[in-house]
Amino acid sequence: MYIGVVVALLVWVGAEAWNVERLVEHVPEDAEVIRVTGQQWFWTFEHEDGTTEVGELHVEAGKAYKFEIVSTDVIHSFNIHDYVVLMDAVPGRVNTVWFAPTEAGEHDIQCREYCGLIHYNMRATLYVEEPAA
Amino acid sequence: MRGITALLVAVLVAVPPATAMQAHAAGDEPGEYLDRRVEIWNLFFRLMVVAFTIGAIVSGTMVWQVWRFRESNPNAKPTPYEEKGEW
Repeated sequence: MYIGVVVALLVWVGAEAWNVERLVEHVPEDAEVIRVTGQQWFWTFEHEDGTTEVGELHVEAGKAYKFEIVSTDVIHSFNIHDYVVLMDAVPGRVNTVWFAPTEAGEHDIQCREYCGLIHYNMRATLYVEEPAA
Repeated sequence: MRGITALLVAVLVAVPPATAMQAHAAGDEPGEYLDRRVEIWNLFFRLMVVAFTIGAIVSGTMVWQVWRFRESNPNAKPTPYEEKGEW
């Protein structure tokens, strides 16, 4: 009986976590792709229309964005703390993560994987703007 | 063994429908996107409720055992070794 309860709880915990991970990883079809490049020690963002930004990223509230994250040198980690976005930038790989900002505001972006001398200052700013009319 | 099987079957039967319902709730409509902050916080909250509940039951049982089976408890029954003074 006790083993049954423990096994059932473990199964439930696993199922819940698996389900939430599945939901969170499902990228909306209309998500706009932003290519994120990490390199010592700054972030570059390239929008679908070819616009490139360095150290800052402008997006619109109410839209979904899919980040394709790459690195040109060492392993970094792309983090928007306020939106719980966190994904490693690994040389030779394209990692993806998506989010949909809900309201206008400014948020910090920073590297979360120690990547060398200036790691602590490998930051950028996310500007979420009101949707264009 | 039969009890374990019954529990496992119950969980396996209950989880997929709940999963399917949530999958439909994750809309792809513009402006109705899933909020990962909410999903992740909710998962954390649910698991913490379970963890603290089980923690309370387990630690409560241990506290009760220590209290109930202490040597000075009036209801304590000496072990055969204690009765014979062999320990």
